[in-house]
Amino acid sequence: MPNIDIDAPGSNQLFIGNEAMARGALEAGIGFASAYPGTPSSEILGSLSEIAKKRDIYVEWSVNEKVAIEAGSAASFAGIRSLVAMKMNGLNVVIDFLSTIILSGIGKKGIVVMVGDDPSAHSSSNETDSRPVAKWLDIPLVEPGDFQEAKDMMPFIYDVSEEFGTICLLRSVTRIAHARGNIKLGEIPKIKHKARFEQFLDPAAPMPTPIMCIPSPFRHMFQHMRIDKVREKFETCSFNRYVGPEKPDLLIVTAGSGWLYSQDAVNALKAEDRIGILKLGTLWPLPEKLVKSCLSRADKVLFIEETDPFLEGAVMEYAAGFSAESKRNMFYGKQTRHLNSFGELTPDAVIKAITSVLDIKYAPRDAEYMKKVGAIPQDHVMDRLLTFCPGCPHRASFWAIKDALHMDGRHGFVTGDIGCYTMALGPAGFFQTRTHQCMGAGAGLANGFGQLGRFGFDQPVVSVVGDSTFFHSIMPALVNGVHNHANFTLVILDNGATAMTGFQPHPGTELTAMGEPAAQISMENICRAIGARVEICDPFDLKNTTRTMLDLIEQEKGARVAIMRRTCELVRQKKDKKPYKMQINPDKCLGEDCGCNRLCTRIFRCPGLIWDASIGKTRIDEVICNACGVCADICPEGAITKEAVA
Amino acid sequence: MVTKTKGVGDLFKEVIDKGLCTVCGACVGDCPYMVFYRGKIRMLDLCNRTEGHCYEYCPRTFTDLDAISNRIHGMPYGGDEIGSVKRVVMARAVDSKTRSKAQYGGTVSMLLSLALDNGLIDAAILSKNTEDKLPSGFVARSSAQVLEGAGSNYMAYPALETLNRMPRDSKDRFGIVVTPCQAIALAKMVASPPEQRVNIGNVKLTVGLFCTWALSYGRFHEFIKNHVTPAKIRKFDIPPPPANRFDFYIGKDIKSFPLDEIRDYRMPTCAYCLDMTAEFTDISVGSVEGTEGWNTVIVRTQRGMEIIEDAQKKKRLEIKELPDKNLAHLREAALMKKARAVQAIVEKTGDKNDLLYLGLSDKLKDKLLAHKVTPQGGH
Repeated sequence: MPNIDIDAPGSNQLFIGNEAMARGALEAGIGFASAYPGTPSSEILGSLSEIAKKRDIYVEWSVNEKVAIEAGSAASFAGIRSLVAMKMNGLNVVIDFLSTIILSGIGKKGIVVMVGDDPSAHSSSNETDSRPVAKWLDIPLVEPGDFQEAKDMMPFIYDVSEEFGTICLLRSVTRIAHARGNIKLGEIPKIKHKARFEQFLDPAAPMPTPIMCIPSPFRHMFQHMRIDKVREKFETCSFNRYVGPEKPDLLIVTAGSGWLYSQDAVNALKAEDRIGILKLGTLWPLPEKLVKSCLSRADKVLFIEETDPFLEGAVMEYAAGFSAESKRNMFYGKQTRHLNSFGELTPDAVIKAITSVLDIKYAPRDAEYMKKVGAIPQDHVMDRLLTFCPGCPHRASFWAIKDALHMDGRHGFVTGDIGCYTMALGPAGFFQTRTHQCMGAGAGLANGFGQLGRFGFDQPVVSVVGDSTFFHSIMPALVNGVHNHANFTLVILDNGATAMTGFQPHPGTELTAMGEPAAQISMENICRAIGARVEICDPFDLKNTTRTMLDLIEQEKGARVAIMRRTCELVRQKKDKKPYKMQINPDKCLGEDCGCNRLCTRIFRCPGLIWDASIGKTRIDEVICNACGVCADICPEGAITKEAVA
Repeated sequence: MVTKTKGVGDLFKEVIDKGLCTVCGACVGDCPYMVFYRGKIRMLDLCNRTEGHCYEYCPRTFTDLDAISNRIHGMPYGGDEIGSVKRVVMARAVDSKTRSKAQYGGTVSMLLSLALDNGLIDAAILSKNTEDKLPSGFVARSSAQVLEGAGSNYMAYPALETLNRMPRDSKDRFGIVVTPCQAIALAKMVASPPEQRVNIGNVKLTVGLFCTWALSYGRFHEFIKNHVTPAKIRKFDIPPPPANRFDFYIGKDIKSFPLDEIRDYRMPTCAYCLDMTAEFTDISVGSVEGTEGWNTVIVRTQRGMEIIEDAQKKKRLEIKELPDKNLAHLREAALMKKARAVQAIVEKTGDKNDLLYLGLSDKLKDKLLAHKVTPQGGH
């Protein structure tokens, strides 16, 4: 990771978009940053945490996004610029708070919510477009169209936040957040932060002035007025610009990564003299005068934007208001099916949309291209399942859960949650997970299933969550379950890390985001205090874990908890060497014969095991295998052996 | 008649899901896929083999009685009421300690104990009750250990799982106590010895138990738990007719339930079984109607003859001729079970030519279908 606080104004540095945004926040003089990890937003707080002590700012991995935004707002209330980062799912978690801070206003210093959207849901359970929230709640919204803007927009949007006294949104998408580009650095101001919560806005006032949302209708009106003022500021903002001929045949209206795709497409089509591009950096409120002037340039207008037709809808809605005096623009985009309102944009998709609107003949690549692309990995990339790492405790945990549910025989199932273990929807977790929604939903669903006994429901319900997820959003569901005697088993896969997003600390781990000793919160103590029966087991002890699971799912009522505790393999291997020497005795391996039928490579499917069809036996992949030893306990013939390494 | 061996999917489809499984254990313990848990056979993962021992040895997949009889008794299945017989006697253990622990005369315990002593076998596969009074398989290697297995609780349990779990390369010679359905599964294994399993040739002595029906492990255990503390039960007993009772011995007391109430907990599959006297064994043992403390013993094979003669010679068993009246009653009851089974099967399938799993000659089938049956009596 590069040093984001390098003190070299004017120099060029290679940053990923998230580092550029973090750098921008430093240049904006933030003193406080809070976040809950989530792809593609995690590197913002991650990179800030590395330099937090040195720069004397406070950085926190919060228990969830809602606490993060509330904590960040307190900093603003006390006169410190603060940054709150999250992925799009997190924005849903903070909506409730957002809906009040737009009314109450912020403190003397600005607060910005950076939300990372994940078009195509590369690392997400959904593909929500965050931008409509800005329109819905009257929140100023900007979106960087390249890496430089990712940095430069930060100081700008903090100024907007303070000038208008409102929280602001900065949206980025995966291709900006995770791609790498050159950034010309600015200066990081030397600020001695001083925090104080002023309770009397007017020192002479007899009463304190709380930050509050009431009277709401009045403040709601004020928020609408405020957004109109922001609009005026955005009209002249340099992040919005038009490039192209005076009177193009086609006007592209775009933002974010759509700006990059649009430039590439126009360039590839050599259509610079036919196509003009209105690139917007401030998306909400819409800079209407600028938009109106650009619409008058061309009849045909094509919208290029990630995910939903947000700009498309906003511009068309606005244009409808002056249709009598305007040219009769033809609008193309997602609503005309020239582009999809799902999945990521691609240069090809953009080129296809342009050529269709302008009736240009252009084959972006030859007809065999996809076939050729598909053939390359076959020769150079190993055919490997989407699965847990070799040695991952989750594989063993799901093995025990599966065995217990199948032995029980009442068609029990797992309600899933968000983490590496989401993969248990597929072969990684032996297809045990049957529901997959948002963070915390598995336990919430289990609460409902667990009340259906009165209607004849007799299937055991197992809610499986990770340790970080437990703190994020499971605790209320467990309280609800215990209080209402819901019949379900909560399994916490405690691997001591927020593994999927990159090992960020959480309330159960040893260190804070600043690297200081944390007060570690005991999950078992919490669960027991709530009143749940708690069993703790080591998932690598398959026999005992299965027995514990059976005992728990056979319990007749009440919410109960199994904590399956084993350090994430990726964390363990950073500290320790392989614990065992693993070997397979080919004479004992039954292979596909009756009595085994490749249990290890057909069902267990750890990537460390290879089926050697030429000899009809399993082999160990010495490079991949992390020597966890679990397969030795799976093998029915004792053909796989583990020998402790001294 | 030839039938194809299939895989576990078909085993579930044709047997287990239809409620025909006897939980004999033939499909369990041999592979990582099948387990016995709380009275049921469960599949932990899907084995996609199209042929498997699980299907092949199941006593409720197609069972060619002629083929099995040929293999075990050297002749086609004759349909004699009590199977192939060399000698029928009544017997009891000479040792009173064995008798006091035993269900009836202690003959089974004594036979196995003798087989261990005289070197016919190295280990005996038996069942004993857990603390919770559930039957569980174990391996006895001494007379004292054999006695731990004395007594019955009438619940079906997977005896063959214990055999299947013996190490593949074991040199031990085994004796095993089996119910009729287990004896059929074992006979199927003998007829077509499994690869990659314990050497079936090492099973040197099979002792069968007379059986009219067995109780469902899971459901009957619930019944027990609802009425008594399982750990306190000393013995289960169904006294001979006309008592019509099921007795729990608790300390010095006996808690009795009407047998009709207990019959609700029978394994439904037992209605489709035609073997009351464990015909495919070396020697079969049951009670003697009207004479407490003795066993009826049917000796079926040369090996059975040898062990019974040795037991008599070494004064381990006291042996008497079985009165003709008792033998006649036994034959009558055994025939009734056969007729009831075949008629129940035809009633289930609705087709006289579809006997589910049974491979039976037409002649015998017609005879059993024509036999007049009475409502089911005692055990």
